[in-house]
Amino acid sequence: MIKYTSSLIFFVILFAGVSLYQIKHFITKKEIELTQIKNNIKSAQSNINILKAELSYLKRPDRIEKIALDKLELREVLPTDIWNLNDLVSATSTFSNGEKK
Amino acid sequence: MKIFDFFNLDVRKQNQSKFRKIKLLICSVMLIMSFTIIGYRTISLASINKNNVSNKVYAEIENESIPKSLRGNIYDRNNKILATTINTLSLNVNPQEILNIDQTIAKLIKIFPQLEEKVLYKKLNSNKKFINLLKEISPREYVSLLNAGIEGLKIETKNKRIYPNNTLAAHILGATDIDGNGIAGIEKKFDSQLQDGSNVTLSIHSGIQHITRTLLLDQIKKFKAEGGAGIIMNAKNGEVFSIVSLPDYNANNYNSILNYKLFNKATKGIYELGSTLKLITAAIAFDSNLINENDVFDVSKPLKVSSRIINDFHPLNYAINIPEVIVHSSNIGSAKIAEKFGSSTQLKYLKSLGLLSILSLEIPELGKPQVLIDKKVLSTMTISYGHGISITPMHLASATATIVNSGAKVNPTLIKGKTEKKNEVIISNKTSLKMKSIMRLVVSNKYGTAKKAEAPGYLIGGKTGTAEKIKPSGGYSKKENIVAFTGAFPMNDPEFIITIMIDNPKGQKFSFGHRTAGWVVAPIVKKLVTRVAPILGVNPQLESSSKFSNNLLNYKIRGKNHGANL
Repeated sequence: MIKYTSSLIFFVILFAGVSLYQIKHFITKKEIELTQIKNNIKSAQSNINILKAELSYLKRPDRIEKIALDKLELREVLPTDIWNLNDLVSATSTFSNGEKK
Repeated sequence: MKIFDFFNLDVRKQNQSKFRKIKLLICSVMLIMSFTIIGYRTISLASINKNNVSNKVYAEIENESIPKSLRGNIYDRNNKILATTINTLSLNVNPQEILNIDQTIAKLIKIFPQLEEKVLYKKLNSNKKFINLLKEISPREYVSLLNAGIEGLKIETKNKRIYPNNTLAAHILGATDIDGNGIAGIEKKFDSQLQDGSNVTLSIHSGIQHITRTLLLDQIKKFKAEGGAGIIMNAKNGEVFSIVSLPDYNANNYNSILNYKLFNKATKGIYELGSTLKLITAAIAFDSNLINENDVFDVSKPLKVSSRIINDFHPLNYAINIPEVIVHSSNIGSAKIAEKFGSSTQLKYLKSLGLLSILSLEIPELGKPQVLIDKKVLSTMTISYGHGISITPMHLASATATIVNSGAKVNPTLIKGKTEKKNEVIISNKTSLKMKSIMRLVVSNKYGTAKKAEAPGYLIGGKTGTAEKIKPSGGYSKKENIVAFTGAFPMNDPEFIITIMIDNPKGQKFSFGHRTAGWVVAPIVKKLVTRVAPILGVNPQLESSSKFSNNLLNYKIRGKNHGANL
């Protein structure tokens, strides 16, 4: 009886030892991976920050205005360029009524 | 008997064997229990749900593992970056670790052509152990350095605060010192929040800020003025869309800027803003019920009070009512109105409009108003047309907003979406309607002083002000003016406040030598509203439209046929 119990205990100890070693190894590996991921995230965050700042610099209103005027030849919006939809509908109906007459 | 047993060897052996068995059993039970626990823990760890672990790890990464070491960003109302922090690399060297100086110099110059060979040679032959070669290098240059494999080089990472829009809202954003602590503007006011890595979103609109600055700068140049300030603000909730102070500076070079450029004329500088204060006088007159709406005031002769004579810039030879006092900008009329309601009433309203105290705007650079509160009749009269009361342009914008916002107090704010408790009512809705009607007439009527501010469709209303500048030695300068405009649009339901001030414009040929607000400031208002209204979503209201309704009162304004009172 003692022999069986001893054997069982021995195997349990062996299993626990191997498992513990494997878990430790696995955790160490994961910790290294985690550190790498953290570093990568930090680096990516820093790069994103730089890119966002650069984008903001490129989207400066004075630069956009210059491009709009020089390259796209856009001009300022005048009050007469903006139409209220209701006014447009009434103007269209007045125009079509006039044509019918 | 026991003593005999002790000497009995068989009995002793039997007892020992019994004790051993008991000890062994206890040890076995304890070992089995320990290993059962260890075994259970091992198996449970090995077979744990991976997703739970992943979630736990991710939560850890987000919350604790990666500290938000960078200072938070400042955004405009459309989430455009106004201030951010980036990591920069600096290039240092330890000359003692360099084996071949000539080769190192050749490699360095290839990557950094801006470095001078002689200077490098001197630095690399030095006995020092640490020398800075370049304060900033780009990521690309860094990669080239790594590829070149130069010994003795040290790359240091530093945080740098940058303002990508350079001059845009420089006075509002402020600056940080070399250690990254806020020392001015929003950077100072929200320092602890930004230090924690939290972001701040302002109510400022980059595009509108740029337009305000450009137009103000153009006019300052045209009239050879010393500077100016421009504000556009939401008339209902006080959110500031643009706030310009000129001259300004590149926010990236804060430490090398002259003091006078750092001064915020819009929120810190206090000025006598002249006749713009007549709006407040008229509002007090209507709201206090101490003056009848149909009362008229004789403005045909200069008014002599104590040793002072009060004149009108555009004299009229008959008695005029309150709307005419405002439209013609009569100092005499305004003084007589103030005399009627008295000093206590005037001070009560000035206080409730916030014109006697520092504003609660979210920057540290705020000016304290200076007002003559001696309660003398002369002081009451001069304050009524803007003399003896020095306030910031922001104070004027805030008071204008309160007047047109049905009398509910508007506290300006630089923070987007800041909720405020229900605003205190300063003047009645009825008074507000009268004031809006009169303000519209100042721009639309042929005798109005702000005729040049009229932008078709946008129903601009407001009041101009031209005041002689106070000399540093005391007294008023006859040669130097402060010109201002404060108003709102569209006047039938004011959505935005516009306040402009220009410091010391000079008369020009094209203005026939005039340097009054009607000539200098009013034209900017027209251009500014025309450009920003479509961005702000304010549609032009054409008077020819069948749906057009201005909801305003119609006052009849008399005047001389000598043209506009600019």
